[in-house]
Amino acid sequence: MRILLIFLFVFGISYAGDATIEVIKKVESLPSIAVEDSSISYDNTFKDSFFKTIIADLNVLSLFNVDRHHRKTHFNDTSVMVENKDMDYVLRYKMFQDDVGALNIELKLINKEKIVLTKQYKINRKNVFMFVAHTIAYDINEFMQAPSVEWMKRRVIFSRVVAPQKTEIVISDYTLAYQHTVIKGGFNIFPKWANKNQDAFYYTSLDSKKPTLKHVNIKTGKSKSIISSDGMMVCSDVSRDSNRLLLTMAPDGQPDVYLYDVASAQSKKLTNYGGIDVNGQFLDDETIVFVSGRLGYPNIFSKKIGSRSVEQMVYYGKSNSASSTFGDYIVYKSRESSNAFSANTFNLHLISTKTDFIRRLTATGVNEFPKFSIDGDAILFIKNYKSQSSIGIIRLNHNKNYLFPLKYGRLQAMDW
Amino acid sequence: MKKIIISSVAMALLVFSGCADKEPVVDEKVQEVVVAQEVETVKTEVVSAEDSSIDENAMSSSDSNEMNMANLERDLSTVYFDFDKFNIRADMQDKVTSSAAVAKDAASAFTIKLEGNCDEWGSDEYNFALGLKRASSVKKALISEGVSDSRITMVSYGESNPVCTDKTQECWSKNRRVDFKLLP
Repeated sequence: MRILLIFLFVFGISYAGDATIEVIKKVESLPSIAVEDSSISYDNTFKDSFFKTIIADLNVLSLFNVDRHHRKTHFNDTSVMVENKDMDYVLRYKMFQDDVGALNIELKLINKEKIVLTKQYKINRKNVFMFVAHTIAYDINEFMQAPSVEWMKRRVIFSRVVAPQKTEIVISDYTLAYQHTVIKGGFNIFPKWANKNQDAFYYTSLDSKKPTLKHVNIKTGKSKSIISSDGMMVCSDVSRDSNRLLLTMAPDGQPDVYLYDVASAQSKKLTNYGGIDVNGQFLDDETIVFVSGRLGYPNIFSKKIGSRSVEQMVYYGKSNSASSTFGDYIVYKSRESSNAFSANTFNLHLISTKTDFIRRLTATGVNEFPKFSIDGDAILFIKNYKSQSSIGIIRLNHNKNYLFPLKYGRLQAMDW
Repeated sequence: MKKIIISSVAMALLVFSGCADKEPVVDEKVQEVVVAQEVETVKTEVVSAEDSSIDENAMSSSDSNEMNMANLERDLSTVYFDFDKFNIRADMQDKVTSSAAVAKDAASAFTIKLEGNCDEWGSDEYNFALGLKRASSVKKALISEGVSDSRITMVSYGESNPVCTDKTQECWSKNRRVDFKLLP
């Protein structure tokens, strides 16, 4: 897996407060870390893959200056390798296969000649090794007492266009290293996790006469149709308790945001403008944020469920056509250049509903589909740049973006 | 001076002849014994007697129906749109009128499916909605030409159904379109 690291700015932000404000601190002050591989089983290709994944994860933590040399040593050596003498931290791990073929990993974190953390991991199938690497990074982050990176262990679901009207729905880890195609053949788009546990998902099927929302239970493999609409059908958001959905439907060719109650299977129209209203997101239990063309160009608005009045949320950008919310924060996609076809076309911006600050989060390419992590610590997005599709991750409090390229196809939509 | 030239020419000749003399060497150590791996057994299925029999009448009629539909679809011409717009351009009006005539007459037995499409600028819902509004514009135009509302369905494919994938303005303008499809 090849990883591109994009350091958008040389400086990092030092403490979380208002995430739209950048507080400047020099990057050199981050502690250094090196990784030593003491694996005894497995071939070099697998050892390399695992090492690369660990390095990528440690980088994404944004807590260290990570040394990228793949050095090998004995697990029980008391001192760190001579090349790593000056490192603040050394992470040493040993992979070995046990009698039943499971992948075991033992690790220790060494700080100034002292072992400060030891852990053991075990998985039955070695092809999901990246999830162990993410868990290791998560545990190191916990040890460093940094804000939780729970999202690292979560799974991403995305749709990829492989040919006109042909898509695949894929479940992956956040780096796209692990990919499992769950729906193949056909024209299926806009996948969305159905609950926090990520054991079911919704998606739109365009193969039937009318666009249809389907629900798949991953554990049982059971698929069922939920609701159909002429013209358009998208599940835009699922409430925190997973009981309510925000759908975009267009029963008469008129796209609007609808609230769908899962238990009663009843839907209620929430927007009434005669143009385009789409992409509803829950801001809280009573308020939604959505994208509307009511000003003559797409922009972000909010409204209380059941109320008629609508409030404009964003005053910057010529065309703001997608958003995601977390607490008081809204991240949105915006076209900034007046030339619709220039290379630098769509960027992501972060605003707070409590302040006037705007922070630009991306700098090049077409950046879209922003999606807050479940804890608001990071934003996942899709970047299309020079015919390469990638999943990007923005560490808000560290002011850094990381990109993980998709090997083939074009990312259509994703959720995590 | 001459000596230098001669010696350098001689040198060059030596170098080149040295190259030419090198014969490709086969490294025999690389020839590993490949152990044949056993592949999975070929998957088979059995078609039951009633499934294997074909109703010839049904087949011929549906076949001719499909050919008829394909021919008619060729007479229904694609409508193109401007960037970020869903109103029907003046130069597309004639196409809509002629398609409406086909829809009312030769294709009157079929349902018309309008497929809205967009260029690659964004895969979000707004783009899908734009594709749908394009289809909706064509639907309204067809209705005003006398085509029955109940015979028309719409769908938006957003940017996921391009006819052209080059990164040019011309290509993008080909993708901003509404296609006609017939459904039985």
